[in-house]
Amino acid sequence: MNGPSVNDRISPELERQIGRLLFEKMQPLLLEFDRDWHLVNLHGDAALFGFAPDNAANSVQQLQDLFLGMPMDGAIDLPFVQMPNGRNAHVHLMLVDGGHQVLLIDAQGEHDRQQAQQQVGNESFLIAQQKDKAVRQLRQIRSELESQRNRLQEANALKNALIATLSHDFRTPLASIFGYLHLLEEEPDAPLETRNSLRALRRNANYLFALAENLLEYARSETRSSLLAPVVTDLEMMVEDLDQMFRVQAEDVGLGFSITLDREPGNPPVLDELRLRQILVNLIANAIRYTQSGSVKVSLAWRGGSLVLSVRDTGVGIAQEASQAVFVPFNRAGNAGNGGAGLGLSIVKRLVQQMLGTLEFESRLGEGTCFRIELPDLTHLVQKVDAPVESEAGQTHADRASSVLIVDDDPDMSHLLGEIMAGVGFRVRVVADATRAVEQALADPPDILLVDVELPGLSGNTAVFRLRAKGYRGHVVTISATPTEEARKVALNAGANQFMTKPINIEQFTRAMLRVRRSD
Amino acid sequence: MSATASKVCLLGDFGVGKTSLVARYVRNTFSDNYLTTVGVKVDSKEVPLPDGAARKLVIWDIAGKSGLDALNMSYLRGASGLLLVADGTREATLRSAVDLLLQSRTLLPDAHAILLINKLDLVDRWEVAPATLVELRKSMPVIETSARQGDGVEQAFLEMATRLNA
Ligand SMILES: Nc1nc2c(ncn2[C@@H]2O[C@H](COP(=O)(O)OP(=O)(O)O)[C@@H](O)[C@H]2O)c(=O)[nH]1
Ligand SMILES: [Mg+2]
Repeated sequence: MNGPSVNDRISPELERQIGRLLFEKMQPLLLEFDRDWHLVNLHGDAALFGFAPDNAANSVQQLQDLFLGMPMDGAIDLPFVQMPNGRNAHVHLMLVDGGHQVLLIDAQGEHDRQQAQQQVGNESFLIAQQKDKAVRQLRQIRSELESQRNRLQEANALKNALIATLSHDFRTPLASIFGYLHLLEEEPDAPLETRNSLRALRRNANYLFALAENLLEYARSETRSSLLAPVVTDLEMMVEDLDQMFRVQAEDVGLGFSITLDREPGNPPVLDELRLRQILVNLIANAIRYTQSGSVKVSLAWRGGSLVLSVRDTGVGIAQEASQAVFVPFNRAGNAGNGGAGLGLSIVKRLVQQMLGTLEFESRLGEGTCFRIELPDLTHLVQKVDAPVESEAGQTHADRASSVLIVDDDPDMSHLLGEIMAGVGFRVRVVADATRAVEQALADPPDILLVDVELPGLSGNTAVFRLRAKGYRGHVVTISATPTEEARKVALNAGANQFMTKPINIEQFTRAMLRVRRSD
Repeated sequence: MSATASKVCLLGDFGVGKTSLVARYVRNTFSDNYLTTVGVKVDSKEVPLPDGAARKLVIWDIAGKSGLDALNMSYLRGASGLLLVADGTREATLRSAVDLLLQSRTLLPDAHAILLINKLDLVDRWEVAPATLVELRKSMPVIETSARQGDGVEQAFLEMATRLNA
């Protein structure tokens, strides 16, 4: 066994040798102080740790401060201390012969290595923490946004439900009013006084209708473009009606009023009549409202496939700065709707856009305003348009007894439709709900089924669907208070041939019914 | 004659702003760069007190750790004041500061302790709730500071010097 011998003691001689070697290698600075911290001796590279003679006093003071408060009863080790000159050292204090010796060993290299290592660790820890926090915050923001969106969606659904209800509730009674007015106006021998009263009734019903339509139009979601309803439009009748509606109103406040129509012969305009009317009602009502003296002049010109409207007043005018604001809903600075709700011009703008038209206006403060709107003919948007019918064409076929089944839960409405249909020679039956409609239509199939969508219990669409499924082949006209493209699609998918919205234009309705009978 | 000197140590998690607080107080400087402290850096400054006296603070900026090891304990010897530093934007550093105080109590039962909640300039991102500070104030002085903008820094060291002088 000649292995190395293990000895736990090295000889003093060897120890001294190693000490000298380390001292040379590590280049320490040894400072010797007396009991009162006066520097008495200094071995090694004084400048390395900032103990060069010019600032030694200061450095000594700071070295002394290091031991402030510490019991001076033994050796003290302070690793990694930054010296006044910025250099890092391990500091060892030893008590020797009633004085202090301080040994400084350079630790800069070691310090830098440790620092580099810890820097990476600490920074990545801090960054990870920040990231966690950011992620938590984003999550919270997202969940807040989600719940906010849910609330908005709920509110929106509520709004839509409310509008649908309002829409139905406004249109149904208005349809009755217009229908009965029409019947009364047809009376040939009514005295003049009665006729005037009827005009007044119609004017006010029109006004109410326009108001309601404005509110509904505003409330309808902008993303859902509502159904365009292009029909052959009787401009003469509209001009006459508007004249009746506004002349008295203008004259009452001392304004001149004129409305003129310049119309190319033949080639009748196909437009969304209700929307056109709504545009004119709004513009004229606004003009009268904002004109103190002078006149309001309206002109309609139909030629070359487009209708140009202009409404000119001599009123307060619209300031240049307000020229965009007037189209903002509920902005009363520059305009207010005929209902006073501040909706008028915003609605007009939207209606013009829906009808694919253009709108412009000129105005001078204190001198007046002129709105000019151009609307294109909409014939190309409909496959089949109500053509003008020779007057009383239906009457010649009155002998052919056709039958109609009217399905409506509103007795006023079903009575009105019954009157109209009977008036042009139909045999009329009326039921108030979908179940009975199906029974009746199967028992004795009518030529025409007029069905209201919004019925108690099963909807009108369901009734139509069931009938079609059981082979009913008559002509189905679905009538709804919901004027949307979606509502139309649902009705047609269920099996309807025609979809009409309330209030119904009686003239056009009658013509359409007569045409159905002739073609069957 | 020179003022009485006292040793004051800054303790707290890394990154809470100990080095920055000393730099602001002693040299009136601030840097956005974070440079990890290894070991200790000792600075001193004389604090003039309202009563005309002055006290020299020997300030130890100790490498930040959430726990005290033997090495850090050796740095603490002889301290008569502790400035515990937390970062208001990181609630966890407040817990560390309180832990550090409890641990150092075994070695320094009589040292004056003040809690500094740093990064006041980022107060809208603070995680430390005002109610927590109200609770802590019942057991020790708490000062909100910003090494970046200087708020509360003079006040913190003056408060320490005053307590040491009392
Ligand atoms: N905004 C802001 N940042 C600070 C403040 N104090 C320190 N910091 C930053 O926080 C980081 C860590 O600071 P430092 O003093 O090195 O922290 P230490 O590890 O406790 O010594 C650095 O990037 C500093 O710039 C402060 O009051 N406000
Ligand atoms: Mg530091």
